[in-house]
Amino acid sequence: MATPKGTHFVITANFIDSGAPAYRRSDGSWSTSLQEAHPAATEAERDEMLAAASKEESVIADPYPFAVRLEGSAIDPLTAREEIRAKGPTVPIRRPDAAA
Amino acid sequence: MYQYDQYDQQIVEERARQFRGQVQRRIDGEVTENEFKPLRLQNGLYMQLHAYMFRIAIPYGVLSSKQVRKLAHLARSYDRGYGHITTRQNIQFNWPQLEAIPTMLDELASVQMHAIQTSGNCVRNITSDPFAGVAPDELEDPRPYCELLRQWSTFHPEFAFLPRKFKIAVTGTPSQDRAAIRFHDIGVRIVNNEAGERGFEVWAGGGMGRTPFIGQIVRPFVRYNDLLAFVESILRVYNRYGRRDNKFKARIKILVDELGIEEFRRRVEEDFARSTNPALQLERAEVDRVTASFRPPPYEPESSARGDAAALAERTSNDAAFARWRKTNVLSHKVPGYDIVVLSLKHPDIPPGDISDTQLDRVAELADRYSFGEVRTTHTQNMVLTDVRDADLCELYDKLVALDMATPTFRLLGDIIACPGLDYCALANARSIPLSLELAKRFENIDYQEDVGPCSIKISGCINACGHHHVGNIGILGINKNGEEVYQLMLGGHDSDSASIGKILGPALREDQVADAVEKVLSKYLDTRNGADETFLECYRRLGPDPFKEAAYGA
Repeated sequence: MATPKGTHFVITANFIDSGAPAYRRSDGSWSTSLQEAHPAATEAERDEMLAAASKEESVIADPYPFAVRLEGSAIDPLTAREEIRAKGPTVPIRRPDAAA
Repeated sequence: MYQYDQYDQQIVEERARQFRGQVQRRIDGEVTENEFKPLRLQNGLYMQLHAYMFRIAIPYGVLSSKQVRKLAHLARSYDRGYGHITTRQNIQFNWPQLEAIPTMLDELASVQMHAIQTSGNCVRNITSDPFAGVAPDELEDPRPYCELLRQWSTFHPEFAFLPRKFKIAVTGTPSQDRAAIRFHDIGVRIVNNEAGERGFEVWAGGGMGRTPFIGQIVRPFVRYNDLLAFVESILRVYNRYGRRDNKFKARIKILVDELGIEEFRRRVEEDFARSTNPALQLERAEVDRVTASFRPPPYEPESSARGDAAALAERTSNDAAFARWRKTNVLSHKVPGYDIVVLSLKHPDIPPGDISDTQLDRVAELADRYSFGEVRTTHTQNMVLTDVRDADLCELYDKLVALDMATPTFRLLGDIIACPGLDYCALANARSIPLSLELAKRFENIDYQEDVGPCSIKISGCINACGHHHVGNIGILGINKNGEEVYQLMLGGHDSDSASIGKILGPALREDQVADAVEKVLSKYLDTRNGADETFLECYRRLGPDPFKEAAYGA
């Protein structure tokens, strides 16, 4: 399927300590928030970021890119899967905050 | 229940210790994810959408109250206050930290539990009838044979890297299969032959997933002492000839289908004839030794167990909710004066199969007080107290109501099973839990459920079919169509005797269309059934899909 015009890419993975979704910032560090991710504007930039992420296996596991749309300053995933990963389950969980 | 000997205990303790070292090396960056992944999977640890998921084995669905308390403790201390009973009678935790897993394994080992072979291409947890040992229609308790198979398959060096995962189920009832043996890689049913000798009918090649098949009988009678050798021959044929070139064609069901049952059977029999390993011959003494672990508890005489029969009858007459629960969730027991009680994990506000730490603790208390300290899990994501006195039913019911575990829907519409779906699972294409909650709400009215009668709804969020959609009387499969979650409706599935695979009714539906379509299908059933005794499945089989398709799609 062709990539829609204006599509950006975010590099994601899972933190190895918690398994939580990890999003790559512009400085190469990792955030749990999709909104702090660096959106790559080109496939070349995406591939470069992914190659760098693949060398950070002491922090994260299984990095991969996914497509997003930029709405102002907000980053919106194009798939339900990535939206759910970013926001959490859409169904009730007993104790949403593990620390609570 | 079976108690570990020193070797079992040593194995699970050493396994936990080994995994602690493996986890530490991963945290320290000494091993890559690719190196670590097979190690964690062999200990039941998956990486899901939001976190790790830790799957713990519950052999043939049997738990002691002590083990249930330990699970409550793990949920409270290392997860988010709940666990999830799976469709293979196991329990999963959805939010553990990697660093905590070795300690969780230590804690599990302290109560004779583990997570070994709950993942990977090996023989998985052996499942069975949740009413094993107490069902009045049972020929023999299948649990000793499940345990013998568990011991044989655990760390079996030849079968640690099969073409794909391998699932075995055992039932002891000749006429009512509550273990879905026809949908397992191997299904075993205890039978008598014409001479009255005890043995096993052995099935193979069943399964759900991408390509569903109903299993076929490999041999109608295997002598009891040949069980392990015969099952091993099936595994050996599968291990040798099963496809490893295509993950989607690697299950034994594909091999049986491609070879044909006659050729598959010939190869198994050929291997079995060559089988000379004396360790695989089950001696009566060994069967008796294991069977001794499953001796019936000290039941009271009937008069004592029945208690005040008049009081029970009066409560049943005067309390409609109690009467309903007794009718649906309380089942006949082989011992007069005792009952099997299904504890419902179905509630319109809670994902099917989820149970909180508090509920787990209370269930352990109830088991100790009312059911000789034992609890079962079911593949329909409920729990069971197997040995409850008539005399205790009223008191137990009141306590279950307080725990939200007395929903009177066993085998009715509200008893929905659903996989975790896209809310948790990395493989899923669509969410299944929200739909299950919507359907549970839509059909919450118990009068309506009683009117419809036995009717199973099973929902999977992807083709892997963990929600068993192929065998739902009403099955629902979530798929991804151009980025949108949509759902295929299928009818006519059944996982017991007279097994059948559901057929797709029509085009996939949007999530907001599914409940309406199901309601229309049910209305058609209610309008066209041959009296209230004709079940939904019987009606569907009599009429075929067309009237239901017309009702659901208006075409």
